[in-house]
Amino acid sequence: MILLAALGRRLVTAVPILFVVSMLLFAALRVLPVDPAAMSMPPNATKDEIEAARREMGLDRPLPEQYVLWLGRAARGDFGRSIHHRRDAGKLVAEALPGTIELAMAAMVVASGLGLGGGLLLFMLRGRRMEPVAETATTLMMSVPEFLWALLFIFVFGVALQAMPFTGRLDPGMKLPGITGFLLLDSVLAGRPDILWSAMVHLLLPAVALGLAFAPPIMRVLRASLIDTYHEDYIRQARLRGISEGRILLRHALKNAILPTLTLMGVQFGFLFGGSLLVEVIYSFPGMGNLMVDAVRNADLPIIQVVGLAYCVVVLVINSLVDGLYLVLNPRLRPR
Amino acid sequence: MSLLVARRLTVATRIGGTIVPVIRGLDIALAPGKVLGLVGESGAGKSMIGRSIAQLLPPGFGVTGGTLEFDGKDLVRMPTNARRSLLGRDIAFIPQEPLSALNPVLTIGDQMAEHFTHLGVRSQPQRLARAVTALEAVHLRDAADLLTRYPHQLSGGMCQRVLIAMAFASRPRLVVADEPTTALDVTVQARIVSLMAELQRRDGTAVLFITHDLRLAGRICDDVAVLYGGAVVEQGPARVVLETPRHPYTRCLQLANPALSGPRRALYALPDQMPGLQALANLHGCHFAPRCPLAGPECRVTPPPLSGNARQVACLHSPLTAGIMSPVTLPRPPTAVAADALLTVRGLAKTYRTGTFFRRRDTHAVVAASFDITPGQFVAVVGESGSGKSTLGRLVMGLERPTAGSILLAGQEVTRSSEAARRHRIRTAQMVFQDPQSALNPRRRVADIVTAALAAAGSDKATRARRAGELLAEMGLAPEIAARTPAQLSGGQRQRVNIARALCILPQLLVADEIVSGLDVSVQAQLLALLQRLRQEHAFAMLFISHDLSVVRHLCDRVLVMYRGQIVEQGATEDVFAYPAHAYTKALLAAA
Repeated sequence: MILLAALGRRLVTAVPILFVVSMLLFAALRVLPVDPAAMSMPPNATKDEIEAARREMGLDRPLPEQYVLWLGRAARGDFGRSIHHRRDAGKLVAEALPGTIELAMAAMVVASGLGLGGGLLLFMLRGRRMEPVAETATTLMMSVPEFLWALLFIFVFGVALQAMPFTGRLDPGMKLPGITGFLLLDSVLAGRPDILWSAMVHLLLPAVALGLAFAPPIMRVLRASLIDTYHEDYIRQARLRGISEGRILLRHALKNAILPTLTLMGVQFGFLFGGSLLVEVIYSFPGMGNLMVDAVRNADLPIIQVVGLAYCVVVLVINSLVDGLYLVLNPRLRPR
Repeated sequence: MSLLVARRLTVATRIGGTIVPVIRGLDIALAPGKVLGLVGESGAGKSMIGRSIAQLLPPGFGVTGGTLEFDGKDLVRMPTNARRSLLGRDIAFIPQEPLSALNPVLTIGDQMAEHFTHLGVRSQPQRLARAVTALEAVHLRDAADLLTRYPHQLSGGMCQRVLIAMAFASRPRLVVADEPTTALDVTVQARIVSLMAELQRRDGTAVLFITHDLRLAGRICDDVAVLYGGAVVEQGPARVVLETPRHPYTRCLQLANPALSGPRRALYALPDQMPGLQALANLHGCHFAPRCPLAGPECRVTPPPLSGNARQVACLHSPLTAGIMSPVTLPRPPTAVAADALLTVRGLAKTYRTGTFFRRRDTHAVVAASFDITPGQFVAVVGESGSGKSTLGRLVMGLERPTAGSILLAGQEVTRSSEAARRHRIRTAQMVFQDPQSALNPRRRVADIVTAALAAAGSDKATRARRAGELLAEMGLAPEIAARTPAQLSGGQRQRVNIARALCILPQLLVADEIVSGLDVSVQAQLLALLQRLRQEHAFAMLFISHDLSVVRHLCDRVLVMYRGQIVEQGATEDVFAYPAHAYTKALLAAA
């Protein structure tokens, strides 16, 4: 109930944010020295033909009016046609989005697993002889960017060992079931374990490459907040009650120390969508990153606009979910 | 046969290559069913003894000699698992800060269930039943409902009851209570103490009661051991030790404590404070000698042994102890010159709005407060936490915007926050905050801190340096303190700097929020003497917010008693304390 109320509050604040972002997107892209009408016409089109196209696209009207028109169409799900792909921009993004969400989620699972596990390990090694070694290892991990991991994995697992596929989302020849666009979900719905397996294998390398890059900050924050938490009176009091160290760590300390870590993970999850771009390009992963790169290269305004909006929506949704989770995990934030 | 016996117990830490003892050769014995009080100021090592029992000493500290036996078994050399199975079952601990001793993200039920699992209760329904019984034993109503609550939803007193319930749930043979009532309100304190006494008698539990409060120790302990610098200086039956102290330290502590009844007397202010660990280690002879009024050269040769039978004292001059007296004359408050009020508060109110737009909840922090302060008058505000006394101080200082009412300060209306009112207020009134640790900027030097007001007024460097020197001298602080940062000062020194800052541009009114709470008795006595001296020299008035009735009685001419945001009683301190009219004032005085 409290959770629903909190999510509702979030939703109310999300609407004006979306408005502002849409305005920014629209204005920024209209200011660019690119003529979408000329771009959409064959190179041998005459001036008059381009003028006609401009009128048809509404480009001759004042900017605010154009914005209202564009917003009105966007509200009905019509984001215009991609100039480059000659297809509906909304549909293109809808096809690409599930892939990226899947990748980002898989990467987040990897990052959280590694980050939380590594954070606990770092914490347990504090003051021991192994601590400097572990510190160096995390610093090394932190200083390798995700695209370097991606290239390294392609070289080791793809080319040298030939153990893993490293392009696309599925083996060549396999057909997308195409129910929701989420391969892991669709393959289960369609009862196709072979597709599920293939999708998972294809997801593994890019997800680990991304996850590895995002794990070290989680480790560090968790370690630091565990150390803070261990100074709290309730930890000492639990010890004085004879509670075992393992139980104190997992039940008493981790439940408190996870809260700052969760905030960081929420922020990171948002970044992952942007961060997946390079990895997607490297693994020819048909997601938002690749779509965006193409769109920018071709000055494909409608696509850039939808991708921008989609990014904004995803970040807002993640924020709301993290806030909700925070409420679940931290009773002090709930009203009495 | 004693239950807990320490023989020559020594706990030490290493500071820069040398081993520095914090507990030196401690000999104590606690018989089953008895209450032993460990009394002393901070740094005396009393908490360290409690932590030695659980072997949960701070990092770098360890037992370096002697034994500590529970029921004939050596707690120090016992394997960790064996000790852990004693903890919570045979030996239980009651902490100082109940609110922070419970895990904030687990319900009371979770934490009690965990405790009963540790005690070996296997089935969930049984654990629940045991938890309810335990909570009922500490007189908490709606026990079943309480189990679903989180610690932040309970008051400090309720949390302490929960912790006492857990401590006594296993009918332990030993309970170690480390300042269990210090963080609680006076009226709650009294109830918690009687609850502990009730459970202790019911189960015949032995209690090690660690406290800085001599009066409290005298009330509930069978025996007391007075500690100074990590060693027992005097021990014996509580009544005997506290009624006729034979060690100068015990005597001086008692004389430093303001009394709640009887004739008002001046406080004995011990010089300085307990030396740090390093300094103590380098001291030859009696550790108290540098501060002791009786000390002679013979005291500085070897530490005097603890001698005697039932009643032991470690002092060469113990027969002379009774001769230590407070200064005879109590500093007289300056007689009021002007009859016009300095501060006139009428119908002052502050309401906080919380809750949502649809379901608003108003919290009335201060309701229709009216009072006057004449120039040079010390007026106390007493009440328990949440009574609105701090809010009242903040309203007077303009740190909160009043919801209703008026404030007239030195003839000028300052209720509304205008620029003119702000300037007038800064010239007339200053505030001293409770916690100097957080009130002083840790990155600035003392000289800059105390003259911040001059800097804001645009004074030049030389003027500021001169004023800083004057202020430190007035506070009884050494001139070299000016160049230090707050971290390099002791608690008492920090509070003096905190007060000096407020006195930089001499205000007519000082608003002081709990400025002597949390300080050791001897340091508190020094500060109270300082305030009285400053008052005679500068004749400023003070609104003194405090929960400590005996301090208020010692220092203030008038008292306002606040209860749930309302001033329920006000008058001359002696009258109010001698003939309290309001039921709450009576309860407050009875509990103190």
